[in-house]
Amino acid sequence: MPNFAEMNGFQYLELAAWIISALFGLWMLVDMIRTNAAYSEDVLLSSREGEIEDELIVDPAHRG
Amino acid sequence: MTQAQATASHGEKVSLLRVLGPGHVWALGVGIVLVGEYMGWNFAVGKGGAVAALIACWFAGLLYTCVAMIDSEVTSTVAAAGGQYAQAKHIVGPLLAFNVGLFLVMAYTMLEAANAITLGYLVQAVGGMAGFEGGHDKPFIVLTIMFLAWLNYRGVYATLTFNLVITAIAFIAILVLFMAVTAAKVVPLNHAGLIHGETLPYGWMGVLAAMHFGLWYYLGIEGTTQAAEEVRSPARALPLGTMTGIITLLIAATMTWYICVGLMPWEYLGQATTPLFDAARLTSSVPLMVLLFIGTMFATLASANGCINDASRAWFSMGRDHYLPEWFGAVHPKYRTPFRSIIFLVPVALMFALGAPLDQVITFSILSGLLEYTVMSFNMIMFRNKWPLDTIKRGYVHPMHPLPAIVLLVLCGVTYFAVFLGYGTQLMAMMVFYIVASAWFHFHRYQFVRRGAQFTMNWPRPRGY
Amino acid sequence: MAKEGRYEPPKQSAFGQIFDSLFLLVLVSLSLFVPLWLGLAGGGKTELTFPEKTWQGMGQNDVTAAAFEKLGFTPETAHGIIASRFDYSFDPLTAIITALVITAYFIFVFRFSDKEYRDVIRERFGDK
Repeated sequence: MPNFAEMNGFQYLELAAWIISALFGLWMLVDMIRTNAAYSEDVLLSSREGEIEDELIVDPAHRG
Repeated sequence: MTQAQATASHGEKVSLLRVLGPGHVWALGVGIVLVGEYMGWNFAVGKGGAVAALIACWFAGLLYTCVAMIDSEVTSTVAAAGGQYAQAKHIVGPLLAFNVGLFLVMAYTMLEAANAITLGYLVQAVGGMAGFEGGHDKPFIVLTIMFLAWLNYRGVYATLTFNLVITAIAFIAILVLFMAVTAAKVVPLNHAGLIHGETLPYGWMGVLAAMHFGLWYYLGIEGTTQAAEEVRSPARALPLGTMTGIITLLIAATMTWYICVGLMPWEYLGQATTPLFDAARLTSSVPLMVLLFIGTMFATLASANGCINDASRAWFSMGRDHYLPEWFGAVHPKYRTPFRSIIFLVPVALMFALGAPLDQVITFSILSGLLEYTVMSFNMIMFRNKWPLDTIKRGYVHPMHPLPAIVLLVLCGVTYFAVFLGYGTQLMAMMVFYIVASAWFHFHRYQFVRRGAQFTMNWPRPRGY
Repeated sequence: MAKEGRYEPPKQSAFGQIFDSLFLLVLVSLSLFVPLWLGLAGGGKTELTFPEKTWQGMGQNDVTAAAFEKLGFTPETAHGIIASRFDYSFDPLTAIITALVITAYFIFVFRFSDKEYRDVIRERFGDK
């Protein structure tokens, strides 16, 4: 365990970087596992190359 | 998001989201590359002197103008994620497409690693300047990769809008510095004095060798094509974004050369880590120093961000065609991103960023890019032969065919030699890798691929087949 | 479209998918790290020798000397940077072998691609 009393500002920054990295990683991992479980593979793998479907064109600038 | 959720809850189909405009395409292309002006291009000065670096800058600019022209024509016709991979698949054949897909993933993932290394170094250096000795760079390398992967995972629109903002700031920083030293004359430029008679210290051999890092001024601009399934009108936005991108880079590269060579001796410039930031330091102006530091940070972030986007698109499209395990071909039903590919490439990037020295990582990235450009020139000639201009409608037709393809091939040949001069062993190791991977694909992996179905474009039968 | 003669690929097991992913990972890391382990990475360098370690002695003029000093260098600390030169001598045989390997690689890839491509076109557009 690091000795918090003796750490300088930069070491706190390093520790924070490690913790935030771990949180991002954990978030992605948990979301991936939950998504894999919530949807069937057929849905997840249903994208096809080069498809241009008009109803899929979303324009965020003009979204209500 | 209502549209996305509605599609997903029908339980039928999910695909990538078409939300991007030409500005995003520009940001994706320039964002990946602009970091090259902030660091890396100056190794060309070390390789052959200041004048050799300028010659290399323009020849590499010519090479990339050819790349951008060819890319624009083919991509405005083959609008599919995976970019050059999908193009090679339709025009040349599966094995080459597999190789191109690997070139893309390797070039971008290595570049991402190089950016993360640089960012970690910058934070560590600033910590040192603030009086904290013995700081580590690793936590910040990891944080960069994890944060950007997360951003990419959450959706392409936010990712590339973020890129648009930080890339624009980084570009404006170069413009401001250029105006400050030329128009406002905050510090005198003295090109002749600083070159001090050593115009070409290595002769013409040095010009050749400088081509190795000359590519670094522009490497990655071809990544614009990866966004093909996510732009609202690919036939218009892709050529527009790519061409404005290469123009931006030509301007930025020439300005960067002019500023740096006018302020620093070539011997120093040739090995500097952050040349533009050093140039700002030499102006003794604190606002310029802060601006160029921010520019360096943003350029690095934008590049790594775009690389994650491009590498995961290429990996995803290969998974979708079963060139790679089909598991990778999944799209997230809510965020509409290739989420499994993004996650899989995180440990790969971490391994390169934490385990290999910067110049090695850069060389591998350059080599993979170089192989890809070589393929492009053949690709272009075969595209016009199999489908002449009157057989399919193109969004953009590039002029003077086949001159760009031939010029591209010649310049690629020169650059192979330049890489060979310093990194012959890596060049060989890389070739062995691609040869083994190709054999593996042809004799093992290809059995899982549907044959006719992978040709998805609505084109007539190619001529001669 | 020709329905008969269509190639139906086998479904790959989960284990096979994991194995294939790992195989590529190992291959990538080997090609990156083997040259490093063998110490074969990096280009050759030489050093210039100067009569004395002053700006004048190292071939610098007033302009470059001032720039070096502004960057925080003394003639002592800048010596390594100024003296370092790349060594561009190379073995022609190695150059030829490398060129042959690259050419052979492209020929091999384009030929096998073409073979596979003919299958794709036959299935997609039917026999002529």
